[in-house]
Amino acid sequence: MAGIAVVMPRLGMTMEEGTVLEWPVAVGARVEKGAVLLVIETEKAETEIEAVVAGTLRHVYAESGTTLACGALLAALTENPEEAFDADAFSGSYLPPEGARSVASPAPAGRPVTQAEVAVSDAPGRRPVAPAARALARKLGLVLDRIAGTGPNGRLIRSDVEAYAAARERLVSVEDGVGLELLREGAGDPVVLLPGFGSDLSSFALLTPFVSGRFETIGIHPRGVGSSDAPAADVYPLDQAAADAAAVLSGPSHLVGASLGAAVALEVAFRTPERVRSLTLITPFVEVSARLAAFTKSWCQLAAELSPEHMASFLAPWLFGEALLADDAACSRTLRGLTRAVLRVSPATLERSRAGMLAWSGSRTGDLARLSVPTLVLAAGADLLTPDAERIAAAIPGAALEVFPDCGHALAIEAADGVARCLLAHLAAGRAPARRPG
Amino acid sequence: MDLTRAELLEAYRKLRRIRSFEDKLGELVVAGKMGGFMHLYAGEEAVAVGVCTQLGDKDTVTSTHRGHGHCIAKGVEIAGMMAELFGRATGVCKGKGGSMHIADIERGMLGANGIVGAGIPLATGAALTARIKRTGGVAVAFFGDGATNQGAFHESLNMAANWKLPALYVIENNGFGEFTPTEFVVPVKDIAVRADSYAMKSLIADGMDFFDVYAKAAEALAYCRSGRGPVLLECKTYRFAGHFVGDTLVYRDKEEAEDWIQNRDPLQNFETQVLEASLVEAEALRRIDLEVQEEIAAAVESAEAAPWPDVAETETDVYVEDGG
Amino acid sequence: MSRKLSLGMAVNEALRIAMETDPDVILMGEDVAGGGDRKGDDVDEMGGVLGTTRGLVKAFPDRVLDTPISEMGILGTAVGAAATGLRPVVELMFIDFLGTCLDPLLNQAAKLRYMFGGNARVPLTVRTVTGAGMQAAAQHSQSLYWITAGIPGLKTVIPSNPADAKGLLLSAIRDDNPVVFCEAKLVLGVSGEVPEGDYEVPIGKAKLVRGGNDVSLIGFGGTLPICLQAAEQLASDGIEADVLDLRSLQPLDEDAILATLTRTGRVVIVDESTPRSSVASDVAALCVDRGFDSLDAPVKRVMAPHSPVPFSRVLEQAFLPSAARVVEAVRSQV
Repeated sequence: MAGIAVVMPRLGMTMEEGTVLEWPVAVGARVEKGAVLLVIETEKAETEIEAVVAGTLRHVYAESGTTLACGALLAALTENPEEAFDADAFSGSYLPPEGARSVASPAPAGRPVTQAEVAVSDAPGRRPVAPAARALARKLGLVLDRIAGTGPNGRLIRSDVEAYAAARERLVSVEDGVGLELLREGAGDPVVLLPGFGSDLSSFALLTPFVSGRFETIGIHPRGVGSSDAPAADVYPLDQAAADAAAVLSGPSHLVGASLGAAVALEVAFRTPERVRSLTLITPFVEVSARLAAFTKSWCQLAAELSPEHMASFLAPWLFGEALLADDAACSRTLRGLTRAVLRVSPATLERSRAGMLAWSGSRTGDLARLSVPTLVLAAGADLLTPDAERIAAAIPGAALEVFPDCGHALAIEAADGVARCLLAHLAAGRAPARRPG
Repeated sequence: MDLTRAELLEAYRKLRRIRSFEDKLGELVVAGKMGGFMHLYAGEEAVAVGVCTQLGDKDTVTSTHRGHGHCIAKGVEIAGMMAELFGRATGVCKGKGGSMHIADIERGMLGANGIVGAGIPLATGAALTARIKRTGGVAVAFFGDGATNQGAFHESLNMAANWKLPALYVIENNGFGEFTPTEFVVPVKDIAVRADSYAMKSLIADGMDFFDVYAKAAEALAYCRSGRGPVLLECKTYRFAGHFVGDTLVYRDKEEAEDWIQNRDPLQNFETQVLEASLVEAEALRRIDLEVQEEIAAAVESAEAAPWPDVAETETDVYVEDGG
Repeated sequence: MSRKLSLGMAVNEALRIAMETDPDVILMGEDVAGGGDRKGDDVDEMGGVLGTTRGLVKAFPDRVLDTPISEMGILGTAVGAAATGLRPVVELMFIDFLGTCLDPLLNQAAKLRYMFGGNARVPLTVRTVTGAGMQAAAQHSQSLYWITAGIPGLKTVIPSNPADAKGLLLSAIRDDNPVVFCEAKLVLGVSGEVPEGDYEVPIGKAKLVRGGNDVSLIGFGGTLPICLQAAEQLASDGIEADVLDLRSLQPLDEDAILATLTRTGRVVIVDESTPRSSVASDVAALCVDRGFDSLDAPVKRVMAPHSPVPFSRVLEQAFLPSAARVVEAVRSQV
């Protein structure tokens, strides 16, 4: 991605900061070299700033009225309008040029500077990146902060970049040229896997081997997850996620969704029932509980602060039942997987997904009764986050229900083989088994 | 003394060449035209010339930081030496060695040496080569009184005596080790007695007298060449200049120095003896003086006009490239 | 054809071949003849403190010279002999004794050619025993090859096995430059296949002795077996290591080092010496300097601590690099 930064210019030696007054060019519009791109105000005057290169204005970071230091990122262009562009990643990777001064006033002249004054504060925590990974990413034009590191201390290593680049090769274009990463395995009737909030397809990793022997499993990484594009937006709406999923279906498919993924599966079934052969809803919800709203809020807040390891530790008690948490070996294995998974979803994506989830909440409660697709609902007895699964099963005509007592919300991880058994039976029958566990 | 007139004139030319060369260097350094550490040989000429006059190309010489005299006596071209001292590409060492490292392997000159005493084992090794390869050559190490206090001196003498190597060790006892009078640091009056520890033959010569040095060296070299083993020859001499150009000489007695310089100058000494014996005439010596003066002026002129080394030369000659 | 010889006996064989093929080659050192009677009676000589030169004085009575215990004199004499047409091979019993005789190497052998503007050759070989492993304590166990490797004008080689020792020593003796030939105690007694006859191993060429794509273990001399042992342990855990035997410390085969780094992205250098100003530090600097964009993990050095070599077997083993420490270093990288 070759974004071109538009920064607060330094107009004269004394200018430290400027205020954005106006953006005459709309986001998405083309601007020619030399045309007025923005108007700023300095301590002296209003000044029109011309574009130094031609391009398409892709994103504005500094709205009118914002005052920023010289060198600060204001907007980004790309040469071609179709070029893939991730506004967050671009701003994340943008470094102010050397010599960009802060707006703080300089120390008074003539007074000796003590060592304490020149001592720098600790560098902000930075994820370790191996030189080889950095070099390869630079060569391939990839942005590092979207790539999960699998080396010691989460170090991003060369093979991570290679894997990411390979995944980018596999992207499938949906609406607006957004690329989604699909993971395909096996052959047969298609089974589409939709991961839950804040999670990538690794949440189905234990399940997939059971299914891919007899079906083609197609995992979809939603926007912002894994290697899929993360277009800038305030919200990733559920109907958009459903449209994305529907767009990658080659024909009528079995949909398997977990939690927020189940919501997306439901939405696909409502919008394009002819493309859905069956639904498997793992710990689904149609209304966001106060607890789920609060939990996902904490998740969003902490994701920006905590290391992946600590993030995983925070999540585990919410997602798993007593048995798993009590088993040290299983728990630490699960935490390692979770650590890698949380790295695959950026804080921005969490915010956007959460906004989409909250907007969707309650919008389909009344529609469940008219759902005509064979449906299996898998509920967890100790689910703290989506306690309505059994009510949803009851509301969907003909839906089967399996309840896993003592399990937590992340059922596909915690009870993978049980989930697989139920799922395979459901897929084989074309409908859910009628029996309920003992 | 069996020297012919021509040999005497050649010996004088070498004495004069060394003296004029060193005097010129003193001027050039003081004038700021030449850099580096410069240790002058003036006053000690009779030692180098008295010994080297009797050496051939198969005989080798190692020298010291005060080495210009040995180089000239062994036949190294002064144009190349002067260019070397100016740091030019045309120097005998391409400008990489300088004053303390002038060498001419083909002429058997194994180099001046910046490390006091380091030439002594090198000459011992050259003598070993002569013995094993049966070249008939002798290796001569020139070194000062100071070097006889180094372990390398004692280790070398022991090995050479034990192996009966054809090596002549020539002490130029000029009375000072750098700035310290020899008697302050050496408990024996004649350093030559140190040879006794190694059952080695030793001789003492008046280092200010070409003819005495010549005679003792002749005896020593004959002994070496006969296969009877090494000889230690102590030449009592005097350093007219200081340890190096710029030395303030506060440590030495002015009257004593004047006495050596005025009354015992080896060139004057040589001239007096050859004139008194009517072996050569004064005009011949004056003619040589003039010729040497011109020769040195020409060497300075050509050296100053010579090109500087290419900076790429910094990294060449570190290894023999085709050597492995 | 080949047969099994110890490294010491491979050195002996190389010396014999060198002396047979070149009448200018001489041996000098303390006890290299070692009391053997040159007149042909049956008294068997020591052939050096470790017996490496045994039998040679009988074959070459005029060219194997026992010296007094005068390292400065021996080395200085050898430099003079080399500069005037011989090809001396000096035995400096232990590299620790460099303290008594550094000048002939540092200021003479290494510099004559340069100071004389290319007008000298010093075809000198210094054989010396290096390293710990025989409980010889602080003054007979050091790995001081970093000193000679760091002196322009000298070459320094260190074989890890008998076959390389023979070929490297023949190359060293026939090289017109001064070469320090290190015989590491940890491998001196180890036997291996040694080809018959006259052959040379080029100086300045490292050898890849094991292939793997996950990590590069770089060793030399006594640390090579440690690298191989570590590589076996790592392989049982699914980590495949390249093992590179430097063989020559100066010239250093930079291309081979960068090639293995480029392949694996991870380097562990195993060096018996103390860490400050070491060969391992030098190789690490090379990796970071010229190989930076290939690095997937910090470059690790497994070395002795910054301390003298201790006597007690327990302490000496703790002092030396070990396969376990190499494995630990690799684990921190992957």
